[in-house]
Amino acid sequence: MRRQRYRSGPLVWLAILFFTCLLLFLFQKILWLVVPFLLALIGYYLFFPLQQRLVLGGMTRATSAALVSGSAFAVAVGVILLSFPWISAHIVSWQDSASRYIEGGLHFIADTLAWAERNYAFAAKAHLSDQLTQNISELGDKFAGTYLTSAALTAAAWLPSLLLAPFLAFFFLRDGWRFKMFLSRAVPNAFFERTLYLLDQVDHTARLYFQGLIKLTLIDALCLAFGLSLIGVSAPYVLGLMTAVLAWVPYIGSILGCLLVVLVAATDFPTNPSMAYAAIGLFIWVRLLDDFFFMPMTIGRSLNLHPLLTVVMIFVGGAVAGVAGLMLVLPLLGIVMVLGETIGEIVTDPRLRARHEFARNLRHQQVTSDLKR
Amino acid sequence: MLSLFASDKPAQRLNDLRNLLLFVDLNTREMKIVDGFLHERTYLKDEVIFDEGEEGQAIYFILAGKVLICHPGESDHPIAVLERGNFFGELALLDDAPRSAQARAAVNCTLAVFFRGDFLGLMHSHALIASKIALQLARHLGVRLRGKVHNDQAFSE
Repeated sequence: MRRQRYRSGPLVWLAILFFTCLLLFLFQKILWLVVPFLLALIGYYLFFPLQQRLVLGGMTRATSAALVSGSAFAVAVGVILLSFPWISAHIVSWQDSASRYIEGGLHFIADTLAWAERNYAFAAKAHLSDQLTQNISELGDKFAGTYLTSAALTAAAWLPSLLLAPFLAFFFLRDGWRFKMFLSRAVPNAFFERTLYLLDQVDHTARLYFQGLIKLTLIDALCLAFGLSLIGVSAPYVLGLMTAVLAWVPYIGSILGCLLVVLVAATDFPTNPSMAYAAIGLFIWVRLLDDFFFMPMTIGRSLNLHPLLTVVMIFVGGAVAGVAGLMLVLPLLGIVMVLGETIGEIVTDPRLRARHEFARNLRHQQVTSDLKR
Repeated sequence: MLSLFASDKPAQRLNDLRNLLLFVDLNTREMKIVDGFLHERTYLKDEVIFDEGEEGQAIYFILAGKVLICHPGESDHPIAVLERGNFFGELALLDDAPRSAQARAAVNCTLAVFFRGDFLGLMHSHALIASKIALQLARHLGVRLRGKVHNDQAFSE
């Protein structure tokens, strides 16, 4: 009498999509907590295997969590302290470089538009290069006053909440298993096995997602860095890492990453626009590799979502919660999907509900046995 | 706040668990690691622990009380009555095949539950511990299989 495997119906799926959107909307309101929480989760899944090794070596969970978190924190602080003099020495030249790269990128775009206007009548009629030059001069006047100040204020406001991340990661490592036990103790006996399975699936999905994300970022960064160093673009490894991290934001991140690569390539080779086109080609090639090869191997395995649903939900995530929604929608959908399917399975199983009711009656009889006449 | 998450496991339980067949090869340190994965549950007399045909997700160890293994509606004629120190539902550690019988509390009892997901996790994080448990499980199933073959031969003769 093998039970047929449960499949979610349209109502459960509607509920899953509704709760994903609702959570996205709510998370957007408390982004100052959600972002450090996510970073802490990434840290937890990154350091969890190391902690497990220490536990096997004979340490307690608390000691191993303290050692792993403390070492990671010490390394981070050490890197910051050691690089501080170097950063201080180079910050002025970086500022100059940033201006130089932006200028180089804009020249590249202006040159491309000018070339188009020389060769195509419709482009000449649009006078795009004139408009671009005018917009650039207006942006240059306002940039420092408008954008730079607000960016500095935003960074200052985010710093305290980001410091929460290592603190949260330490407690996830130390007490994560206790929290799981704590949650499972609240579950009635009839639903216990099914709920254990649910918790395991949520943990499994989240672990695969975050570990997949880290692997994908490393693979992307290395591929791009290798390609950029072949072309001869400066600082290929920094550029590769930056574009790979930017790709965490679907669509927008890729566009920004591509712009960054083009800016650098156009500035490094101002008289040779073909290098910028080669950098664009390389970027597109790595993105294609990423979409069809690396991502299915890493993140795709974890979520098991239909491609159409994935694309639609990314757009919905962007519409509901902006850039944060684009980043959060897929892991959130994966977790809500597991939760929804399991709750649907429990709620629609009459035998489990009957067993729960029976156990409640037994408990009631036990506690009232001496109250009857 | 964290005291909410703390489990109140008596030291006696660790000793009881170490005497179980599946954990007999584990040293104290390894047993403590496994104990971190065990869930303690209490069941009232007559409460169903799992049903026949249900997808198996966990193995149960009896810490106190008695458990009946029977077919549904036949608790008066149980297949087996298991007492403190025994375990049941062990095939669930291997796959999610349906349970072959119903388990029911014969008296109020306390059980330790070891979830298959945690066992599979142990295989990655603590392969030595998992292999010791798997070896004991294989021995236990071998003994049961030999017993069954022996019984069938005796019956046919």
